[in-house]
Amino acid sequence: MRANSGQATILGQRYKELERPFCQVGAVLEASGFHPGRKARNHLRVLARAGRAPETRVDEVLKIVGLEGAAKKRVGAYSLGMRQRLALASALLGDPGVLILDEPANGLDPEGIRWLRDLLRSLAAEGRAVLISSHVLAEVEQTVDEVVIINKGKFVAHGSVESLTRSVEGRVRVRSPQAAKLRKQLVKAGLKIDVDGDALLVAGGPSSQIGEIAAKSQVVLHELTPITTQLEDVFFALTTDGEK
Amino acid sequence: MIASLSSEWLKIRTTRTIFWLLLALCAVVTLFVVAGILTNNKADLTGSDNQAGAMGIGILAAVIALIMGLIVSTGEYRHGTITPTLLTTPSRPLVVVSKGIAAMLLGVALVALAEVFVIAELAAFLPIRGIGFALQGGDVARVLARTLACAAIWGALGSSLGLALRNQIGTVVGCFAWLFFAEPIVQGILNSHAIHSHAGRFLPLAATIGVFADTTGHDANRLSHLGGVFILSGWLALATVAALLLLGRRDVS
Repeated sequence: MRANSGQATILGQRYKELERPFCQVGAVLEASGFHPGRKARNHLRVLARAGRAPETRVDEVLKIVGLEGAAKKRVGAYSLGMRQRLALASALLGDPGVLILDEPANGLDPEGIRWLRDLLRSLAAEGRAVLISSHVLAEVEQTVDEVVIINKGKFVAHGSVESLTRSVEGRVRVRSPQAAKLRKQLVKAGLKIDVDGDALLVAGGPSSQIGEIAAKSQVVLHELTPITTQLEDVFFALTTDGEK
Repeated sequence: MIASLSSEWLKIRTTRTIFWLLLALCAVVTLFVVAGILTNNKADLTGSDNQAGAMGIGILAAVIALIMGLIVSTGEYRHGTITPTLLTTPSRPLVVVSKGIAAMLLGVALVALAEVFVIAELAAFLPIRGIGFALQGGDVARVLARTLACAAIWGALGSSLGLALRNQIGTVVGCFAWLFFAEPIVQGILNSHAIHSHAGRFLPLAATIGVFADTTGHDANRLSHLGGVFILSGWLALATVAALLLLGRRDVS
């Protein structure tokens, strides 16, 4: 893939112009860049030598990613999750200030995902910039501070998770045995209604307003639940709007 | 440069491929030397010149260096390790050159190992037939220099061809098909009475034979030792330029 125009810079320079790129930017672009016949420790030694990182870091990063016990195993015998950990170890080898990770949770079990989340948070807390590219928005939401939404290669939005979720209108889930009557009153009040099975999804007003409308109309409610806006809702709201 | 070269050398050393190829080299060298000692006439095994001729089997190291150069370079694409390689060494010319030099060093090391084996086997087996070990420094140096030149260039040639062509099986099979099947045919056509161009001597295998073989008298279809080195280096330069151009166009993703 070639850029149509412009150029990407990192730390103000193009990657190949950085003085010691491997020690400034750690990247995991795919979890398949291993020779299956090479032992994990040797894989990291190869990278450390080329990237001019101290070889003493090899054992350190193996410990960080929890692979010290499998360091002398050939990578061909690794599971996808172990390869993902090894890829992360490669990125950490040069002790870089910037980490760029493409789908880092791919192949990890739930325990591994939690471990990864804690590790990435701790790396960020050390003052490193951690850029994650992912389609698993629920996981992203739990891990990151700032989000950049890109759809079909184009920038859509940027902001904190909180500001982005706030920007999208929340909805309230309402169930009532008099749904038709309630719906009429809600529409009259200018609220937007969608139907989800036997429930109404109401947008445009808080749950307190909906409760008051129901009380005034003498409508019995079985459920009145504000739905928390997820990053996934933000993504669909922003990208669907753009496509319309 | 040193960092990249050291990394490439470590890559060669840390897979099992090199171990099996070394084993194959030692086994074939032993087989040829011992069989030669046991089957040749005593007269053909006597004297430094004849015994140095047995060292010619060390040229097998060039074939191993070529295979290893091809496998290491194409393996980068096959296993996706080209991505971390280019992330650690963003200068693509540096990657091409480092790989080439590492493959050259491998060629040199393989020749050294093969020739040590040959000399040790000559020393051990010649007395069994009642022949004295007579190898002299000058003859050893002559064979060694030619074999080293071939192995170093073939190693680097394999490395550059691998980076340029990428497909592992296709490149290895293609190289061997060219060297041992297609080139002799092309040579035959070019050297035939109908064309009579002598251009066949500039082809890679013919140039290697020019470097390696003992020249007795003038042969218009064979290059001199130095001429062979020059032409083989030209093929290496061509493959290296192709690797630089094609690797330079590759996106890291």
